[in-house]
Amino acid sequence: MTRKLFIFSTIAFWIAVTGLGTLSVWWLPAGQGTAQARDKTLSPADLAKHTSPENCWMAIRGAVYDLSTYLPEHPSRPDIVLPWCGKEASEAYNTKMKGRPHSPYADELLAKYRIGSFAKVP
Amino acid sequence: MNRLRFLLLPIVVSFLVGVPVFWAFPEDLRFWRATAIVLGWVGCGLLLASLLLMVREVRLAIWLGGLERMTLWHHRGGVAAYLVLLLHPLALAADGWHESPLLAWQVISPFSMSWTVWVGWGALLLLMLGLATTFARRLPYGPWRWLHGLLGIGVIIGFVHVLLLGISIAALLATLAAVLLLVWRLIRVDAGLAARPYVVNSVHPVARSMVEISLQPLATPIVARAGQFVLVAFFHGPHYRGCGEYHPFTICATGPGVGFSIGIKALGDCTQQMQRLEPGVAARVQGPFGEFLAERPATPQIWVAGGVGITPFLSILRSELLSQPTRLLYLFRSAADAAFLDELQALADRDAHLILEAVPTGAGLPNVEKLLPASDLLSGNECYLCGPPALIESLSRVLRDRGVSELNIHFERLDFR
Repeated sequence: MTRKLFIFSTIAFWIAVTGLGTLSVWWLPAGQGTAQARDKTLSPADLAKHTSPENCWMAIRGAVYDLSTYLPEHPSRPDIVLPWCGKEASEAYNTKMKGRPHSPYADELLAKYRIGSFAKVP
Repeated sequence: MNRLRFLLLPIVVSFLVGVPVFWAFPEDLRFWRATAIVLGWVGCGLLLASLLLMVREVRLAIWLGGLERMTLWHHRGGVAAYLVLLLHPLALAADGWHESPLLAWQVISPFSMSWTVWVGWGALLLLMLGLATTFARRLPYGPWRWLHGLLGIGVIIGFVHVLLLGISIAALLATLAAVLLLVWRLIRVDAGLAARPYVVNSVHPVARSMVEISLQPLATPIVARAGQFVLVAFFHGPHYRGCGEYHPFTICATGPGVGFSIGIKALGDCTQQMQRLEPGVAARVQGPFGEFLAERPATPQIWVAGGVGITPFLSILRSELLSQPTRLLYLFRSAADAAFLDELQALADRDAHLILEAVPTGAGLPNVEKLLPASDLLSGNECYLCGPPALIESLSRVLRDRGVSELNIHFERLDFR
Protein backbone atom coordinates (compact mmCIF):
# COMPACT_ATOMS: atom_id res chain seq x y z
CA MET A 1 0.00 0.00 0.00
CA THR A 2 2.67 2.54 1.04
CA ARG A 3 4.80 1.40 -1.91
CA LYS A 4 1.99 2.16 -4.35
CA LEU A 5 1.41 5.49 -2.62
CA PHE A 6 5.12 6.33 -3.01
CA ILE A 7 5.18 5.44 -6.70
CA PHE A 8 1.93 7.25 -7.51
CA SER A 9 2.82 10.42 -5.58
CA THR A 10 6.36 10.57 -7.02
CA ILE A 11 5.10 10.25 -10.59
CA ALA A 12 2.37 12.87 -9.96
CA PHE A 13 4.98 15.22 -8.44
CA TRP A 14 7.30 15.02 -11.43
CA ILE A 15 4.41 15.49 -13.85
CA ALA A 16 3.44 18.67 -11.96
CA VAL A 17 7.02 20.00 -11.79
CA THR A 18 7.90 19.29 -15.43
CA GLY A 19 4.49 20.64 -16.49
CA LEU A 20 5.13 23.87 -14.60
CA GLY A 21 8.66 24.17 -15.98
CA THR A 22 7.42 23.65 -19.54
CA LEU A 23 4.58 26.12 -19.07
CA SER A 24 6.95 28.78 -17.71
CA VAL A 25 9.13 28.49 -20.84
CA TRP A 26 6.05 28.86 -22.99
CA TRP A 27 4.78 31.71 -20.83
CA LEU A 28 7.99 33.78 -20.99
CA PRO A 29 7.30 35.62 -24.29
CA ALA A 30 3.67 36.22 -23.40
CA GLY A 31 4.67 37.64 -20.02
CA GLN A 32 6.77 40.30 -21.66
CA GLY A 33 3.94 42.48 -22.85
CA THR A 34 4.09 46.03 -24.09
CA ALA A 35 4.01 47.35 -20.55
CA GLN A 36 7.31 45.56 -19.83
CA ALA A 37 8.85 46.16 -23.20
CA ARG A 38 10.55 49.31 -21.95
CA ASP A 39 11.88 47.38 -18.97
CA LYS A 40 15.53 46.40 -19.10
CA THR A 41 15.99 42.64 -19.04
CA LEU A 42 18.82 41.41 -16.87
CA SER A 43 20.30 37.93 -16.97
CA PRO A 44 21.64 35.80 -14.06
CA ALA A 45 25.13 36.68 -15.39
CA ASP A 46 24.35 40.41 -15.09
CA LEU A 47 23.04 39.84 -11.61
CA ALA A 48 26.07 37.85 -10.52
CA LYS A 49 28.37 40.84 -11.14
CA HIS A 50 26.82 42.82 -8.29
CA THR A 51 27.63 40.93 -5.11
CA SER A 52 29.29 43.47 -2.83
CA PRO A 53 27.57 45.59 -0.15
CA GLU A 54 28.36 48.73 -2.16
CA ASN A 55 27.08 47.22 -5.39
CA CYS A 56 24.31 44.81 -4.47
CA TRP A 57 21.63 43.63 -6.90
CA MET A 58 19.01 41.03 -6.09
CA ALA A 59 16.39 39.27 -8.20
CA ILE A 60 13.08 39.04 -6.36
CA ARG A 61 9.83 37.71 -7.83
CA GLY A 62 10.93 38.13 -11.43
CA ALA A 63 12.45 41.64 -11.11
CA VAL A 64 15.95 42.91 -10.38
CA TYR A 65 16.59 45.52 -7.67
CA ASP A 66 19.67 47.61 -6.94
CA LEU A 67 19.71 47.64 -3.14
CA SER A 68 23.17 49.19 -2.71
CA THR A 69 21.87 52.42 -1.20
CA TYR A 70 19.21 50.72 0.88
CA LEU A 71 21.32 48.05 2.59
CA PRO A 72 22.62 50.30 5.39
CA GLU A 73 19.01 50.95 6.39
CA HIS A 74 17.91 47.29 6.37
CA PRO A 75 16.87 46.18 9.89
CA SER A 76 18.43 42.66 9.73
CA ARG A 77 21.99 41.81 10.53
CA PRO A 78 24.19 42.30 7.43
CA ASP A 79 25.17 38.61 7.43
CA ILE A 80 21.55 37.66 6.75
CA VAL A 81 21.04 39.98 3.77
CA LEU A 82 24.47 40.32 2.16
CA PRO A 83 24.81 36.66 1.05
CA TRP A 84 21.84 37.25 -1.29
CA CYS A 85 23.59 40.05 -3.25
CA GLY A 86 23.95 38.95 -6.87
CA LYS A 87 21.44 36.14 -6.44
CA GLU A 88 17.82 35.12 -6.98
CA ALA A 89 16.42 35.94 -3.53
CA SER A 90 12.63 35.45 -3.90
CA GLU A 91 12.60 32.54 -1.46
CA ALA A 92 14.53 34.50 1.17
CA TYR A 93 12.34 37.58 0.63
CA ASN A 94 9.17 35.49 0.89
CA THR A 95 10.25 33.58 3.98
CA LYS A 96 11.57 36.09 6.45
CA MET A 97 11.69 35.12 10.15
CA LYS A 98 9.32 32.20 10.96
CA GLY A 99 8.75 31.63 7.24
CA ARG A 100 6.79 34.85 6.82
CA PRO A 101 7.22 37.22 3.89
CA HIS A 102 8.08 40.87 4.07
CA SER A 103 5.26 43.33 4.73
CA PRO A 104 3.29 45.22 2.04
CA TYR A 105 5.29 48.28 3.14
CA ALA A 106 8.49 46.47 2.24
CA ASP A 107 6.95 45.55 -1.12
CA GLU A 108 6.30 49.23 -1.84
CA LEU A 109 9.77 50.17 -0.67
CA LEU A 110 11.32 47.50 -2.83
CA ALA A 111 9.57 48.80 -5.95
CA LYS A 112 11.59 52.04 -5.71
CA TYR A 113 14.81 50.13 -6.31
CA ARG A 114 13.66 48.21 -9.37
CA ILE A 115 16.06 48.43 -12.28
CA GLY A 116 14.71 45.77 -14.63
CA SER A 117 13.13 42.37 -15.10
CA PHE A 118 14.94 39.14 -14.47
CA ALA A 119 15.44 36.82 -17.42
CA LYS A 120 15.71 33.26 -16.23
CA VAL A 121 17.56 30.79 -18.37
CA PRO A 122 16.16 27.37 -17.49
CA MET B 1 -0.69 -3.30 26.00
CA ASN B 2 -2.27 -0.89 28.41
CA ARG B 3 -4.15 2.20 27.23
CA LEU B 4 -1.42 4.68 28.27
CA ARG B 5 1.27 2.89 26.29
CA PHE B 6 -1.13 2.49 23.36
CA LEU B 7 -1.75 6.25 23.32
CA LEU B 8 1.79 7.41 24.07
CA LEU B 9 3.12 6.84 20.55
CA PRO B 10 0.42 8.92 18.77
CA ILE B 11 0.78 11.56 21.49
CA VAL B 12 4.57 11.80 20.90
CA VAL B 13 4.11 12.02 17.11
CA SER B 14 1.37 14.67 17.49
CA PHE B 15 3.63 16.66 19.83
CA LEU B 16 6.59 16.57 17.44
CA VAL B 17 4.36 17.72 14.57
CA GLY B 18 2.17 20.12 16.53
CA VAL B 19 4.85 22.18 18.31
CA PRO B 20 6.70 23.43 15.20
CA VAL B 21 3.44 24.02 13.32
CA PHE B 22 2.05 26.02 16.25
CA TRP B 23 5.30 28.00 16.54
CA ALA B 24 5.48 28.85 12.86
CA PHE B 25 1.77 29.08 12.09
CA PRO B 26 1.47 31.87 9.52
CA GLU B 27 -0.72 34.94 10.04
CA ASP B 28 -2.08 37.26 7.36
CA LEU B 29 -0.56 35.31 4.51
CA ARG B 30 -2.06 34.23 1.23
CA PHE B 31 -3.61 30.77 1.40
CA TRP B 32 -1.04 28.85 -0.64
CA ARG B 33 1.99 30.45 1.04
CA ALA B 34 0.52 29.68 4.46
CA THR B 35 -0.22 26.13 3.30
CA ALA B 36 3.35 25.69 2.04
CA ILE B 37 4.79 26.85 5.38
CA VAL B 38 2.50 24.56 7.38
CA LEU B 39 3.30 21.60 5.09
CA GLY B 40 7.02 22.23 5.52
CA TRP B 41 6.80 22.17 9.29
CA VAL B 42 4.44 19.15 9.33
CA GLY B 43 7.04 17.33 7.22
CA CYS B 44 9.83 18.36 9.62
CA GLY B 45 7.81 17.13 12.63
CA LEU B 46 7.03 13.80 10.95
CA LEU B 47 10.70 13.33 10.03
CA LEU B 48 11.74 13.95 13.63
CA ALA B 49 9.13 11.45 14.85
CA SER B 50 10.35 8.92 12.29
CA LEU B 51 13.95 9.41 13.48
CA LEU B 52 12.92 8.94 17.12
CA LEU B 53 11.13 5.69 16.23
CA MET B 54 14.23 4.10 14.73
CA VAL B 55 16.05 4.32 18.06
CA ARG B 56 16.04 0.83 19.57
CA GLU B 57 16.23 1.26 23.31
CA VAL B 58 14.58 -1.30 25.56
CA ARG B 59 12.76 1.23 27.79
CA LEU B 60 11.69 3.40 24.86
CA ALA B 61 10.28 0.31 23.12
CA ILE B 62 8.32 -0.62 26.26
CA TRP B 63 6.83 2.89 26.58
CA LEU B 64 5.91 3.14 22.91
CA GLY B 65 4.27 -0.28 22.58
CA GLY B 66 7.09 -2.44 21.25
CA LEU B 67 9.75 -2.43 18.57
CA GLU B 68 7.45 -3.85 15.92
CA ARG B 69 4.91 -1.06 16.45
CA MET B 70 7.69 1.56 16.48
CA THR B 71 9.02 0.22 13.17
CA LEU B 72 5.55 0.31 11.61
CA TRP B 73 5.05 3.94 12.69
CA HIS B 74 8.63 4.78 11.59
CA HIS B 75 7.75 3.60 8.08
CA ARG B 76 4.34 5.27 7.99
CA GLY B 77 5.71 8.52 9.48
CA GLY B 78 8.53 8.59 6.93
CA VAL B 79 6.20 8.05 3.97
CA ALA B 80 3.73 10.64 5.33
CA ALA B 81 6.59 13.16 5.72
CA TYR B 82 7.69 12.47 2.14
CA LEU B 83 4.16 13.02 0.77
CA VAL B 84 3.77 16.27 2.71
CA LEU B 85 7.21 17.51 1.62
CA LEU B 86 6.37 16.77 -2.03
CA LEU B 87 3.41 19.12 -1.64
CA HIS B 88 5.56 21.84 -0.01
CA PRO B 89 7.24 23.13 -3.22
CA LEU B 90 4.02 22.66 -5.19
CA ALA B 91 2.17 24.87 -2.69
CA LEU B 92 4.95 27.49 -2.99
CA ALA B 93 4.54 27.38 -6.76
CA ALA B 94 0.77 27.69 -6.39
CA ASP B 95 1.37 30.87 -4.39
CA GLY B 96 3.41 32.36 -7.23
CA TRP B 97 0.87 31.24 -9.83
CA HIS B 98 -1.49 34.11 -9.04
CA GLU B 99 1.11 36.50 -10.45
CA SER B 100 2.31 34.34 -13.34
CA PRO B 101 3.33 30.78 -14.19
CA LEU B 102 6.84 32.18 -14.68
CA LEU B 103 7.03 33.33 -11.07
CA ALA B 104 5.51 30.01 -9.92
CA TRP B 105 8.35 28.20 -11.67
CA GLN B 106 11.05 30.61 -10.49
CA VAL B 107 10.11 30.04 -6.85
CA ILE B 108 10.85 26.30 -7.06
CA SER B 109 13.11 26.02 -10.10
CA PRO B 110 16.25 23.97 -9.36
CA PHE B 111 17.98 26.26 -11.88
CA SER B 112 17.60 29.20 -9.51
CA MET B 113 20.90 30.64 -8.33
CA SER B 114 19.95 29.96 -4.75
CA TRP B 115 21.57 27.60 -2.27
CA THR B 116 18.28 27.44 -0.36
CA VAL B 117 16.45 26.03 -3.37
CA TRP B 118 19.33 23.74 -4.35
CA VAL B 119 19.60 22.32 -0.85
CA GLY B 120 15.81 21.86 -0.69
CA TRP B 121 15.89 19.96 -3.97
CA GLY B 122 18.88 17.93 -2.81
CA ALA B 123 17.04 16.88 0.34
CA LEU B 124 13.91 15.95 -1.59
CA LEU B 125 15.85 13.91 -4.16
CA LEU B 126 17.70 12.04 -1.41
CA LEU B 127 14.41 11.26 0.34
CA MET B 128 13.03 10.09 -3.01
CA LEU B 129 16.03 7.86 -3.72
CA GLY B 130 16.19 6.55 -0.16
CA LEU B 131 12.50 5.61 -0.15
CA ALA B 132 12.76 4.01 -3.59
CA THR B 133 15.50 1.71 -2.30
CA THR B 134 13.59 1.12 0.95
CA PHE B 135 10.77 -0.38 -1.10
CA ALA B 136 13.23 -2.50 -3.13
CA ARG B 137 12.82 -5.55 -0.91
CA ARG B 138 14.72 -7.85 -3.24
CA LEU B 139 17.96 -6.05 -2.42
CA PRO B 140 20.22 -8.02 -0.07
CA TYR B 141 20.02 -6.68 3.50
CA GLY B 142 23.58 -5.22 3.55
CA PRO B 143 23.30 -2.88 0.53
CA TRP B 144 19.66 -2.17 1.44
CA ARG B 145 20.72 -0.93 4.88
CA TRP B 146 23.35 1.43 3.44
CA LEU B 147 20.98 2.79 0.80
CA HIS B 148 18.31 3.28 3.48
CA GLY B 149 20.88 5.57 5.15
CA LEU B 150 20.36 8.04 2.27
CA LEU B 151 17.13 8.96 4.03
CA GLY B 152 19.08 10.06 7.12
CA ILE B 153 21.36 12.27 4.98
CA GLY B 154 18.27 13.65 3.19
CA VAL B 155 16.66 14.55 6.51
CA ILE B 156 19.73 16.46 7.73
CA ILE B 157 20.05 18.32 4.41
CA GLY B 158 16.33 19.11 4.64
CA PHE B 159 16.89 20.81 7.99
CA VAL B 160 19.87 22.70 6.50
CA HIS B 161 17.38 24.00 3.90
CA VAL B 162 15.27 25.37 6.78
CA LEU B 163 18.36 26.93 8.37
CA LEU B 164 19.26 28.64 5.09
CA LEU B 165 15.85 30.29 5.06
CA GLY B 166 17.01 32.26 8.10
CA ILE B 167 14.56 30.58 10.47
CA SER B 168 17.18 30.45 13.18
CA ILE B 169 15.80 29.20 16.51
CA ALA B 170 13.31 26.50 15.48
CA ALA B 171 15.46 25.28 12.61
CA LEU B 172 18.51 25.09 14.83
CA LEU B 173 16.64 23.11 17.51
CA ALA B 174 15.07 20.79 14.93
CA THR B 175 18.42 20.21 13.20
CA LEU B 176 20.15 19.49 16.49
CA ALA B 177 17.38 17.06 17.46
CA ALA B 178 17.66 15.28 14.09
CA VAL B 179 21.46 15.01 14.30
CA LEU B 180 21.24 13.81 17.91
CA LEU B 181 18.71 11.09 17.03
CA LEU B 182 20.75 9.94 14.03
CA VAL B 183 23.99 9.82 16.02
CA TRP B 184 22.16 8.03 18.85
CA ARG B 185 20.91 5.41 16.41
CA LEU B 186 24.29 5.01 14.68
CA ILE B 187 26.32 4.69 17.88
CA ARG B 188 23.92 2.82 20.15
CA VAL B 189 22.30 0.49 17.60
CA ASP B 190 24.39 0.18 14.41
CA ALA B 191 27.79 0.41 16.12
CA GLY B 192 26.45 -1.73 18.97
CA LEU B 193 27.20 0.48 21.98
CA ALA B 194 23.87 -0.57 23.52
CA ALA B 195 24.70 -4.26 22.98
CA ARG B 196 26.05 -6.67 25.62
CA PRO B 197 28.99 -8.99 24.86
CA TYR B 198 28.20 -12.71 24.66
CA VAL B 199 29.95 -15.80 23.36
CA VAL B 200 28.53 -18.83 21.55
CA ASN B 201 28.46 -21.74 23.99
CA SER B 202 26.97 -24.50 21.84
CA VAL B 203 25.51 -25.10 18.39
CA HIS B 204 22.91 -27.82 17.64
CA PRO B 205 21.29 -28.49 14.27
CA VAL B 206 17.54 -28.83 14.92
CA ALA B 207 16.19 -29.11 11.38
CA ARG B 208 17.20 -28.60 7.77
CA SER B 209 18.86 -25.14 7.54
CA MET B 210 18.20 -24.36 11.18
CA VAL B 211 20.39 -24.40 14.29
CA GLU B 212 19.84 -23.68 17.96
CA ILE B 213 22.61 -21.53 19.42
CA SER B 214 23.16 -21.08 23.14
CA LEU B 215 24.89 -17.90 24.26
CA GLN B 216 26.70 -17.10 27.50
CA PRO B 217 27.29 -13.53 28.73
CA LEU B 218 30.78 -12.09 29.06
CA ALA B 219 29.55 -9.15 31.17
CA THR B 220 26.22 -8.07 32.69
CA PRO B 221 23.57 -10.24 31.03
CA ILE B 222 20.27 -9.07 29.60
CA VAL B 223 17.16 -9.94 31.62
CA ALA B 224 14.79 -11.68 29.22
CA ARG B 225 11.46 -13.47 29.55
CA ALA B 226 10.46 -16.55 27.58
CA GLY B 227 8.98 -15.54 24.23
CA GLN B 228 10.85 -12.23 23.89
CA PHE B 229 13.30 -11.56 21.07
CA VAL B 230 16.77 -10.05 20.87
CA LEU B 231 18.92 -8.47 18.17
CA VAL B 232 22.13 -10.44 17.82
CA ALA B 233 25.25 -9.88 15.71
CA PHE B 234 27.90 -12.57 15.39
CA PHE B 235 31.55 -11.68 14.81
CA HIS B 236 34.64 -13.85 14.63
CA GLY B 237 35.58 -17.18 16.21
CA PRO B 238 38.37 -19.73 15.79
CA HIS B 239 37.23 -20.69 12.27
CA TYR B 240 34.21 -18.48 11.73
CA ARG B 241 33.97 -15.01 10.21
CA GLY B 242 30.66 -13.37 11.06
CA CYS B 243 28.86 -10.72 9.04
CA GLY B 244 28.43 -8.47 12.10
CA GLU B 245 24.85 -7.47 11.20
CA TYR B 246 22.19 -7.30 13.92
CA HIS B 247 19.29 -9.67 13.17
CA PRO B 248 16.21 -10.39 15.32
CA PHE B 249 15.92 -13.85 16.90
CA THR B 250 13.34 -15.17 19.32
CA ILE B 251 14.67 -16.60 22.56
CA CYS B 252 14.03 -20.37 22.57
CA ALA B 253 15.07 -20.93 26.15
CA THR B 254 16.34 -18.92 29.08
CA GLY B 255 18.91 -20.48 31.38
CA PRO B 256 20.46 -22.47 32.82
CA GLY B 257 22.15 -19.66 34.68
CA VAL B 258 22.16 -16.39 32.83
CA GLY B 259 22.54 -17.57 29.25
CA PHE B 260 19.84 -18.12 26.66
CA SER B 261 19.39 -19.86 23.33
CA ILE B 262 17.98 -18.75 19.98
CA GLY B 263 16.85 -20.56 16.86
CA ILE B 264 18.42 -19.44 13.58
CA LYS B 265 16.82 -20.39 10.26
CA ALA B 266 18.77 -19.75 7.06
CA LEU B 267 16.60 -17.10 5.40
CA GLY B 268 19.30 -14.88 3.85
CA ASP B 269 23.03 -14.63 3.19
CA CYS B 270 23.92 -13.71 6.77
CA THR B 271 21.67 -16.29 8.47
CA GLN B 272 22.92 -18.91 5.98
CA GLN B 273 26.45 -18.13 7.18
CA MET B 274 25.26 -18.48 10.80
CA GLN B 275 24.47 -22.16 10.18
CA ARG B 276 28.25 -22.69 10.40
CA LEU B 277 28.59 -20.99 13.82
CA GLU B 278 30.87 -22.69 16.32
CA PRO B 279 31.50 -22.42 20.09
CA GLY B 280 33.73 -19.48 20.97
CA VAL B 281 32.35 -17.04 18.37
CA ALA B 282 31.94 -13.53 19.78
CA ALA B 283 28.42 -12.08 19.72
CA ARG B 284 26.72 -8.87 20.80
CA VAL B 285 23.12 -8.80 22.00
CA GLN B 286 20.61 -5.92 22.12
CA GLY B 287 17.32 -6.19 23.92
CA PRO B 288 15.24 -7.93 25.04
CA PHE B 289 12.18 -6.70 23.16
CA GLY B 290 8.60 -7.86 22.63
CA GLU B 291 5.54 -8.77 24.62
CA PHE B 292 4.09 -11.29 22.20
CA LEU B 293 3.07 -13.96 24.74
CA ALA B 294 3.56 -11.93 27.91
CA GLU B 295 -0.03 -11.02 28.83
CA ARG B 296 -2.04 -14.11 28.02
CA PRO B 297 -5.55 -14.15 29.48
CA ALA B 298 -7.05 -17.21 31.20
CA THR B 299 -9.26 -18.00 28.19
CA PRO B 300 -8.59 -20.98 25.84
CA GLN B 301 -5.92 -20.32 23.27
CA ILE B 302 -4.97 -21.27 19.76
CA TRP B 303 -1.31 -20.95 18.83
CA VAL B 304 -0.31 -21.24 15.18
CA ALA B 305 3.38 -21.52 14.29
CA GLY B 306 4.86 -21.57 10.79
CA GLY B 307 8.41 -22.96 10.50
CA VAL B 308 10.87 -21.03 12.67
CA GLY B 309 7.83 -19.25 14.16
CA ILE B 310 7.65 -22.16 16.60
CA THR B 311 10.41 -20.61 18.75
CA PRO B 312 8.37 -18.21 20.97
CA PHE B 313 5.85 -20.99 21.74
CA LEU B 314 8.66 -23.45 22.46
CA SER B 315 10.22 -20.89 24.76
CA ILE B 316 7.01 -20.62 26.83
CA LEU B 317 6.48 -24.40 26.92
CA ARG B 318 10.06 -24.99 28.04
CA SER B 319 9.72 -22.46 30.88
CA GLU B 320 6.30 -23.27 32.38
CA LEU B 321 3.25 -25.53 32.50
CA LEU B 322 0.27 -23.93 30.81
CA SER B 323 -2.66 -22.73 32.91
CA GLN B 324 -5.19 -22.45 30.06
CA PRO B 325 -6.33 -25.00 27.43
CA THR B 326 -4.06 -24.43 24.44
CA ARG B 327 -4.04 -25.93 20.97
CA LEU B 328 -0.73 -25.57 19.15
CA LEU B 329 -0.94 -25.94 15.37
CA TYR B 330 2.63 -26.39 14.11
CA LEU B 331 2.99 -26.02 10.32
CA PHE B 332 6.20 -27.05 8.54
CA ARG B 333 7.10 -28.02 4.99
CA SER B 334 8.29 -31.57 5.60
CA ALA B 335 9.59 -33.79 8.40
CA ALA B 336 13.13 -32.54 7.71
CA ASP B 337 11.98 -28.96 8.51
CA ALA B 338 10.11 -29.85 11.70
CA ALA B 339 12.46 -28.28 14.25
CA PHE B 340 11.99 -29.34 17.88
CA LEU B 341 9.09 -31.70 17.00
CA ASP B 342 10.20 -34.57 19.27
CA GLU B 343 10.68 -32.18 22.17
CA LEU B 344 7.28 -30.57 21.53
CA GLN B 345 5.62 -33.99 21.62
CA ALA B 346 7.33 -34.71 24.93
CA LEU B 347 6.19 -31.35 26.30
CA ALA B 348 2.62 -32.03 25.14
CA ASP B 349 2.70 -35.42 26.89
CA ARG B 350 3.61 -33.82 30.22
CA ASP B 351 1.26 -30.79 29.95
CA ALA B 352 -2.44 -31.70 30.27
CA HIS B 353 -3.50 -28.29 28.86
CA LEU B 354 -1.56 -28.60 25.61
CA ILE B 355 -2.80 -30.25 22.41
CA LEU B 356 -0.15 -30.43 19.71
CA GLU B 357 -1.12 -30.73 16.07
CA ALA B 358 1.91 -31.02 13.77
CA VAL B 359 1.11 -30.66 10.06
CA PRO B 360 3.53 -31.03 7.14
CA THR B 361 2.21 -28.62 4.49
CA GLY B 362 4.61 -29.07 1.57
CA ALA B 363 6.09 -26.14 -0.34
CA GLY B 364 4.11 -22.95 -0.77
CA LEU B 365 1.44 -21.30 1.32
CA PRO B 366 -0.78 -23.93 3.04
CA ASN B 367 -4.55 -23.95 2.74
CA VAL B 368 -5.21 -22.43 6.14
CA GLU B 369 -8.99 -22.57 5.71
CA LYS B 370 -8.76 -26.35 6.11
CA LEU B 371 -6.24 -26.20 8.92
CA LEU B 372 -7.96 -23.71 11.22
CA PRO B 373 -10.89 -24.77 13.47
CA ALA B 374 -14.47 -23.90 12.52
CA SER B 375 -16.11 -20.68 13.77
CA ASP B 376 -17.89 -22.31 16.73
CA LEU B 377 -14.62 -23.84 17.98
CA LEU B 378 -12.83 -20.49 17.65
CA SER B 379 -15.38 -18.61 19.73
CA GLY B 380 -13.90 -17.35 23.01
CA ASN B 381 -10.35 -18.26 21.99
CA GLU B 382 -7.32 -16.01 22.03
CA CYS B 383 -5.25 -16.57 18.86
CA TYR B 384 -1.45 -16.16 18.71
CA LEU B 385 0.31 -16.41 15.34
CA CYS B 386 4.01 -16.50 14.49
CA GLY B 387 5.56 -17.26 11.11
CA PRO B 388 6.27 -15.81 7.67
CA PRO B 389 4.35 -12.57 6.89
CA ALA B 390 2.30 -14.16 4.07
CA LEU B 391 1.17 -16.97 6.40
CA ILE B 392 0.22 -14.52 9.16
CA GLU B 393 -1.79 -12.40 6.74
CA SER B 394 -3.59 -15.47 5.44
CA LEU B 395 -4.30 -16.80 8.97
CA SER B 396 -5.50 -13.39 10.21
CA ARG B 397 -7.87 -13.02 7.27
CA VAL B 398 -9.45 -16.45 7.81
CA LEU B 399 -9.73 -15.89 11.58
CA ARG B 400 -11.47 -12.54 11.01
CA ASP B 401 -13.79 -14.15 8.45
CA ARG B 402 -14.71 -16.73 11.10
CA GLY B 403 -15.71 -14.08 13.60
CA VAL B 404 -12.54 -13.66 15.67
CA SER B 405 -12.10 -10.03 16.71
CA GLU B 406 -8.91 -8.14 15.78
CA LEU B 407 -8.38 -7.68 19.52
CA ASN B 408 -8.13 -11.46 19.96
CA ILE B 409 -5.58 -11.99 17.17
CA HIS B 410 -1.95 -11.45 18.18
CA PHE B 411 1.08 -11.89 15.97
CA GLU B 412 4.75 -11.12 15.69
CA ARG B 413 6.56 -10.64 12.38
CA LEU B 414 10.13 -9.66 13.31
CA ASP B 415 10.47 -7.84 10.00
CA PHE B 416 12.38 -4.62 10.65
CA ARG B 417 13.20 -3.56 7.11
